[in-house]
Amino acid sequence: MESFKNIEILDLPDITSLTFKKIHRDYLKVLLGSVCLITLVVIVALFVVNYNFQEVLPDFISYVYLGLFLVFILIILFIWIGFSRRKFSIREKDISYKSGVLIKKTTTVPFSRVQHVELDEAPISRLFKLASISVFTAGDSSDDLVIKGIKKTEALKIKEFISEKINE
Amino acid sequence: MNNNSDFTEFSKQSPKGILVIYISLLYKTLKVSWILLFLFLRKFSELSNQKLFYIFMAIGVFLLFLLVRAYLDYKNFQFKIENNHFVLKQGILKKTNTSIPFDRIQNINFKQNIIQQLINVYEVSVETAGSKDTEIAIKALPFDKAQALKEQMSVKAMTAESSIIEEEKNPFLIINFKELLKVSLTENHLQSLLIFIALLFGIYQQLSDAFDGLGRKEDFDSYLDIESNAMYGSIIVFLILFVLLFIVALVSSFVRILLFHFNLTVFIKNESFEINQGLLTKKSIILKKEKVQSITVSTNPIKKKLGISFVTFKQAVSGKVNEKKNKLIRLVGCQYHQVLQIKELLFDFQSVENSEKYNSNTYFKSRMYFRSFLGLLIFNSILMVVLQNANWLWFNLILFPLVILLIRLKFKKTFYSFDDEVLLIGKGRIETHIIYLPFFKVQNIKMKQTLFQQRKDVVDIILQTASGKIKIPCIEKERATQIYNYTVYKVEKSTELWM
Repeated sequence: MESFKNIEILDLPDITSLTFKKIHRDYLKVLLGSVCLITLVVIVALFVVNYNFQEVLPDFISYVYLGLFLVFILIILFIWIGFSRRKFSIREKDISYKSGVLIKKTTTVPFSRVQHVELDEAPISRLFKLASISVFTAGDSSDDLVIKGIKKTEALKIKEFISEKINE
Repeated sequence: MNNNSDFTEFSKQSPKGILVIYISLLYKTLKVSWILLFLFLRKFSELSNQKLFYIFMAIGVFLLFLLVRAYLDYKNFQFKIENNHFVLKQGILKKTNTSIPFDRIQNINFKQNIIQQLINVYEVSVETAGSKDTEIAIKALPFDKAQALKEQMSVKAMTAESSIIEEEKNPFLIINFKELLKVSLTENHLQSLLIFIALLFGIYQQLSDAFDGLGRKEDFDSYLDIESNAMYGSIIVFLILFVLLFIVALVSSFVRILLFHFNLTVFIKNESFEINQGLLTKKSIILKKEKVQSITVSTNPIKKKLGISFVTFKQAVSGKVNEKKNKLIRLVGCQYHQVLQIKELLFDFQSVENSEKYNSNTYFKSRMYFRSFLGLLIFNSILMVVLQNANWLWFNLILFPLVILLIRLKFKKTFYSFDDEVLLIGKGRIETHIIYLPFFKVQNIKMKQTLFQQRKDVVDIILQTASGKIKIPCIEKERATQIYNYTVYKVEKSTELWM
């Protein structure tokens, strides 16, 4: 116990002194783009409803628009702040990912526990040649490590690297 | 090896399996259609003879159809062993061919439900880890054949293990009826009650759905309303209700414990546990030492007096952890020295129990207070709006001290401590749970910090194992980082297999 705290801890690889790398800046465009797209769809739908059922609609419909606008601004703000906090780091034996605005999260997955690696390309990301890497471990695999928004060429390299490490 | 245990060719299960499959099919249909049957019985006298005849005809044809289906199921279910794979062919129309390599097999368990007990066959289930839905059950095998199958698969699976010593040792643990009674009396009755109520609620839902379908929901609800109105107000009725609930809770704990853990016997063989238990469904489980991810030793004040505790083994789960219920293996009613022996077999725990215990930061307590009081406030306001009077406010006099007590207890019991190999985590409110987790069993590790936690410089640590998440709430960031670094280091350095 004593030995662990005083001696060994000194030469342990430290997560806090790790240099994390930001994800590709094009991914911000992807995030903002998809939010705008969804908002656009909602607004068009609202407009259509508004136009066709003018007499049935209550008076406070303008407040709904206002609320929607505020939510939109808030989401954009969150994405903006959150984006610069999405960072990852790959060491020889593990992969780490940091993110979060209100709740900051850091996750580390040692390669020796990885079950499989996945590379996904979402439709909008594909326009920017971006991909996401998912790393799965055993157990409840719902929220293992996912890094979105890496250049596809880099993602492929990472995937290759991890696959090699797993098979060692 | 006689002809009976030759698995190189495709073989079927015992013909008695038809009966087992038939009854399980019947049970499944009954489970979804009992409400219809219930309604039918109520209307029984109103139906004309001719209609009755048709209905009985339909039921007869359906039963016959199920029988044919069971026969075909049996006919098309074939398995064999081929170069270290277990091969299974099944399916009537949609044929599936499954092949499992031996080293992917996690457990081979025997099970006997009441039908299988009556006709003396065993259900053999093969559990695998990793892949999602390859859980295979051979419904009916005679004992010697089941045993032979299991031996052939497990001998080949564990080449390192020289030979299986088949000496009948003294059981490590036997829980007889009297001890089981003791265990069930000291159970968490509140939990039993909740399970019981959930069961009732499920039935109520089904009933009210059925009435709803018939457009008679009002009848049913008004019937219940009369009941609840009569109950309302009087404290004496309240007390009687309380006593009644207590008795129900007691009985349901007893039944639950008896059903699952009847005749619990544990053997220790070749560094693995063999666990037999169950009343209606007898289960026999072999638990290998290295498959255990973590263990939890639980006790409560009364159990402590009697010197008994529970040991829960957590195994690796495949896919979602939702169906974890089946994979939890609990040994109820262990004596103190038996707990020691179990721990000794699994890992070196001496130093961790003597090492220093650290509590969570007091922020943890403040957070619990804040959340509970907020919850109570919302609960009270909603009741206020719904009931439109203040007669029930005295209820808070009981509720508030109770909540405060529970929070204090929880905070006191939440601790962590560690040595070079094992992490120890304590939790619980009235019960005390102590989790033993060897560092190298961790799959991945997470550190979480909310904005509020940031001000106090505390974080939550979440350790993900193959059997679920383990959380250490609100500890100082500096120490959390140490644990984080050390765990990662331990996992990366270990050469032992986590499973």
